[in-house]
Amino acid sequence: MRKEFMLGNEAIARGAAEAGVRVVAGYPGTPATEIVDLCGGYPGVYAEWSANEKHAFEVATAASLTNQRSMAVMKHNGTNAAADFLMHVNFTGIRAGMVLITADDPGGLSSQCEEDTRILVHNYAHLPMFDPSSVQEAYDMTKAAFELSEKTELVFALRPVMRINHAGGMVEYGDVAPQSRPAEFVIDRKRFVMSAVVEKESGGELRPKMRHRWLNAKQAELKALMEDSPFNRVEKAPGEVGFIGCGIGYAFLKEAERIHGAKLPILKLSTLPLPEGKVLDFVRGLKKVVVFEEVEPVVEKLIKELCFEHKIVLEVLGRGGYLPSEGELSTNLVLTAVEAALAGKDYPAPAQGQYVSARTRTQCPGCSHRGLLVALKEVVRKNGGVVTGDIGCHDAGTFEPMNLQATIYCMGSSIPMAYGIKKAGFDKPVYALIGDSTFFHNGLTGLASAIYNGADITVVIAYNSTTAMTGFQPHPGSANNLNQPVTPIEPGAVAAAMGAKVFRCNPYNVEETARVIAEATAETGVKVVVAEALCYLKFGREGKISYTPRQVAVDVAVCNGCGLCVRTFGCPSITLSEGKAVIEPSSCNGCGVCVSVCKRGAIK
Amino acid sequence: MKFDLVIAGVGGQGNILASQVVAKCAMDAGYNVVNTETKGAAQRGGSVLSHVRIADGEIFSPLVPAGQADVLLGFEPLEALRYIGLLGKKGTFIINTAPVPTILANMKVDEYPSTEQIVAIIKEKGLDGHFLNATRAAKDLGNVLLTNVVMLGAFTAVSSVLQPDVILKKLLTMVDEKFHADDSRAFAVGRGLIGKEG
Repeated sequence: MRKEFMLGNEAIARGAAEAGVRVVAGYPGTPATEIVDLCGGYPGVYAEWSANEKHAFEVATAASLTNQRSMAVMKHNGTNAAADFLMHVNFTGIRAGMVLITADDPGGLSSQCEEDTRILVHNYAHLPMFDPSSVQEAYDMTKAAFELSEKTELVFALRPVMRINHAGGMVEYGDVAPQSRPAEFVIDRKRFVMSAVVEKESGGELRPKMRHRWLNAKQAELKALMEDSPFNRVEKAPGEVGFIGCGIGYAFLKEAERIHGAKLPILKLSTLPLPEGKVLDFVRGLKKVVVFEEVEPVVEKLIKELCFEHKIVLEVLGRGGYLPSEGELSTNLVLTAVEAALAGKDYPAPAQGQYVSARTRTQCPGCSHRGLLVALKEVVRKNGGVVTGDIGCHDAGTFEPMNLQATIYCMGSSIPMAYGIKKAGFDKPVYALIGDSTFFHNGLTGLASAIYNGADITVVIAYNSTTAMTGFQPHPGSANNLNQPVTPIEPGAVAAAMGAKVFRCNPYNVEETARVIAEATAETGVKVVVAEALCYLKFGREGKISYTPRQVAVDVAVCNGCGLCVRTFGCPSITLSEGKAVIEPSSCNGCGVCVSVCKRGAIK
Repeated sequence: MKFDLVIAGVGGQGNILASQVVAKCAMDAGYNVVNTETKGAAQRGGSVLSHVRIADGEIFSPLVPAGQADVLLGFEPLEALRYIGLLGKKGTFIINTAPVPTILANMKVDEYPSTEQIVAIIKEKGLDGHFLNATRAAKDLGNVLLTNVVMLGAFTAVSSVLQPDVILKKLLTMVDEKFHADDSRAFAVGRGLIGKEG
């Protein structure tokens, strides 16, 4: 055993490599992203960025069926996208050990929504899950999950939260064993063909019902495993009020206990299903327990159910009403709750925080999206159109000062939503603004649906050749995959092949972009404008940029300080000082897009 | 022994490098270390907060609880104000007074408080610490990117948890050799700023 400082995602990748993972597939999403890249760094491990999480899950499962340990990596939104597959692989089970990393982001610190994938993966799909409370445990659980998955023939899920993925700590770790398993695919249609087939052996039962019974029968085996799991344990102390820490909730609880200054009766629960015997032993003799978990009252409700079945009278408090039901836990929140519960009081209503000027996200200086947003805004300003948005750096176009996209939902929603607005009878132009990685993730089918249904919309694809938002992972429109150079799949060629009318522009040229979008708008049917320019932040470092850099400056004799450039444009490099616009030379990247924004021609 | 450090700043200020230097030195000294960063789209002008927790025993939460930090380094005054609640009553702050305006304030749809206002709000809390202009010191040295090194140098003048020369040496192992002379100067300037601020 060696000990080293690792980030949570490094620890998970290390655990997987030591467990002999052979195939790792994922789609970028904070906070899980780094795991895939890191796994790819281990010899003998094949890692890939799949086009979306469902495909990552499918690739990883197929590897498991081929007798190779595998892992699918995604954030919670991605697990939603993969939910259809999840609700089949749970019934078939797998062969070689397989782990699903489904990272949650309590508080929605870097996400479109706050959710708890334990409900999807455990309550709904009935698969076992580990909820790590520390970086060390993330490593230990990843390794254990592979072993137990193989033993039970079920996908095991690890649900780290942001504070695990992106935290660093000392980790004791072992060695990576050489890969030695033969790649064998044994055909077993009774398991791996999910279909409404009549099963002779089961008295003519349909296969879906038979596989459901198999999955239900597995639950007893899982519960027995969790009873012996080192990840669940009791810390004894006197008192009638007990405290249950789940995953990172345990870490906050232990901190709170230290500040509180006296030992508390604590049950650490980090598995689903619950170790029911351990829970019952802990709660017997207690009058009240408080459950700290991220973020829904999952364990709280299971404990209530368990107490009901065993006729135990116990007050069970937690996210279901006692604690705040939304947002991230913290040591301070837990400490407040511990002290309130011990005193027999309600959790106090949190004081309204004092507003400190917000620092919103925006496009970087030199970003090609800013030119595209300005051009599209100019077009809809004139024609009263509506823009549906999508996920990616361009989503900051919904904030001040752009205020452009009217909707943001999930990956690929922009295109079907755009034509849904038209089908409802809206008589002005509608635009779907989508990035390239998102287009390949879940935009293609939306585009097919739009064309097939005779939609009349303009789809604008911001083609910057990378998944910029999550840290520049390549996608099918990039010139490389995770492992090697490839021929990019050009979004415009795909759209044209589907039957869309395709237009092209360079978004750094605002006038040209506005003109091309207006021309596309004038046509009927599904039009696709491919606004192609490399991501400045990624490719600029490699010396590849899609504009001719220029020295941009404000002509103070012409500038009248109207502030249009700061009020409508939002480039961090432009400020107003002493009644004049000022361009900060240290942060300006010379893209020159702002030149087109000044109506007086003061920016040159 | 328990020592909690938080560094509040804006993307691009070198906040994370500074926290890594401290974390690595503490590990070399045999301490247990846990850290994390909250960096909502830091590269895109967002706020960045680093937590470094050092102890000779077990550390559970990667986040420094409110009111528990021993030192708060504010690389930017508004960000220092945002997270001042993390600093313990007996803790020490070092706050760079050079503002990085927010986009919303630049657009006049939000207000960026004046440095005087920020200083007044923080002083009102009865906390101990130092206000200094690390950005100006870095510019005087010829490179605004040295701000984090100036702040790191200042940190070593208020905290004895790690030796100043150890921190500087560690920093130099983590940056390109061509910056070594400048970084060493900036570090010394930062150390010198403590106690000399008006």
